[in-house]
Amino acid sequence: MREVMEHTAGKVYLTYLAATIVGMVVAIVRGAMSVPEGGEPFLLFGWMTAPLVAGIIFVLLWLVGYLVYFFKFWPYR
Amino acid sequence: MVFDIAVLTIFGLIIIGMAAYGYKISAKTAEDYMLGGRTIGVVVMFFFVLFAISSSWTFYGFPGLLYLEGPGYVFFIWGSVAGFAGLYMFLGPRIWALTKMNRFLSPVEALGERYESKPLRLVLAVSILAFIVPYVGIQPLGVGAGFQALTGLPAIWGAIYTAVLLIFLVLLGGMRIVAWVNIFLGIVYVTALMGSMLWIVNVALPGGLPGAAAAILETQPELLSAPGPRGTFTPVLMGGTFIVGLLAFSWPHVVIGAMTARDKNLFKWFPLLIFVFGGLFFYIIPFIWGSLVAPAIMPLEALTARAAELGTSVEIEADRVVQTIIVQELPGWFGVFVLMGVIAAAVSTAAVQLMTSSVIVARDVIQGVFKPDADDREVTRWARWSVIGIVILSLSISVIDTGAMALYLTDVSIPGFAQWSPALVGGLLWKRGTRQGAIAATLVGVIYLVLGLLITPGGSRVLLLDLHPIVPTLLVNTIVYIVVSLLTPAPSEEIQTQFFDEVDEFLRSES
Repeated sequence: MREVMEHTAGKVYLTYLAATIVGMVVAIVRGAMSVPEGGEPFLLFGWMTAPLVAGIIFVLLWLVGYLVYFFKFWPYR
Repeated sequence: MVFDIAVLTIFGLIIIGMAAYGYKISAKTAEDYMLGGRTIGVVVMFFFVLFAISSSWTFYGFPGLLYLEGPGYVFFIWGSVAGFAGLYMFLGPRIWALTKMNRFLSPVEALGERYESKPLRLVLAVSILAFIVPYVGIQPLGVGAGFQALTGLPAIWGAIYTAVLLIFLVLLGGMRIVAWVNIFLGIVYVTALMGSMLWIVNVALPGGLPGAAAAILETQPELLSAPGPRGTFTPVLMGGTFIVGLLAFSWPHVVIGAMTARDKNLFKWFPLLIFVFGGLFFYIIPFIWGSLVAPAIMPLEALTARAAELGTSVEIEADRVVQTIIVQELPGWFGVFVLMGVIAAAVSTAAVQLMTSSVIVARDVIQGVFKPDADDREVTRWARWSVIGIVILSLSISVIDTGAMALYLTDVSIPGFAQWSPALVGGLLWKRGTRQGAIAATLVGVIYLVLGLLITPGGSRVLLLDLHPIVPTLLVNTIVYIVVSLLTPAPSEEIQTQFFDEVDEFLRSES
């Protein structure tokens, strides 16, 4: 991680990952996984619940960030 | 039953045969036995680590908790995927380079040398063993539950069968064969878990997964969102569960995996497999099992009636719900294949945990403290034979404490594993971290955790402020590490050069 902190691309990458974590926590805490009063559960394609969809989006964001940084900027690549 | 036992016997003999072959081709050195000669490539490493972390818990505990509590617990998985990837992206290259350059055989040894402290080495070794050993025992017991559901024989026979396999595999094979066997076990595991789900959906859920969700929506709609039927997974708890998952980078049996890498290129490719195969495929299978398929086929009322009939609790039956449904819905011969998958899951995890434990016992406790002059052969011998003692000890502890599987993992083992993470991360990344800081922080964190779990007046964890055990303990641990480090003299120049500057140089030059 020391090598990641030593250049701008690395700092951007770490900030991006931290932002996804904060975004996930904020989404959870603000009640994005719950059902509004009198509402129905969120189901994408008729079966994917909100926690599943949120997690898949989170993993995809990490995947994209990792691909860009590790294959273009990582100092030890 | 004869067919089931014959199949399980053949399966066990294949594993023992692989272990015996590993013994035959091994170099008989401590480095070869403990770290596979540091020759593990990216594909083997991926299966090795993925199935080291995906235990019978993934088959039983995880779907069981989703079945009872709704989908909120899945945030542990999302956090874990990021945590494991983070380990290999950020800490792994340094752990690998540092231990390879200095011929360290355990991460605890590396930290003992980094902080120039034998007491710290002992503290870390004992605390890691204290939390990893009980978890080893949960695996055979998990198999025992499935064994009983399939054959009707007492669960203890399944546990003994698994324990014997584990002992042969680790005692003979060492880390390289444990890694290779994990590929075989992983294939059996994925095929069983996914194959059973696809088959069940095909035969019992004509509307597919949308049909399952629609059925649950009518009978128990609260299962499809947080906080779940019992109101457990509040936003705060889900956020905490996610953070707990992120700390997966500190699991000692995963950290030691990074030391077995062949070269630094592995750390570039490994996260790709974790994200794509782990996060977007593998962990979604037990999620679908526990949150959709199982409640659609066997609603809670049916499981409650079954628990009453068997004289067990709903929680225990929920842990077994996947196996129960398979036995009820699919042909008998398939049940034994699924049990093989569960055994594969259990053995693949427990073997790596056993290897890690035996390395720590032999290298850090026996050689590090009691017999510093022990040679390579003696250390290897101690590592091999300690396996039997660890298995017996872990099984005994697990029999005494028969708590629900998922909760034991998240409430006890993971908070325990996390207590060495400030010393680990600080030791690798922060030149100013000191031995006094590491010792004080680890001791404070472990003692606080143990007292917090034991002192529960009226069922309330007052010392832990009724938060998840990892939150207050790790916070205090980290603060103590930083404050005490800043108040005590910085590590010597030689240490800073050896553990930071030379590692940077090695990683930049190594191709």
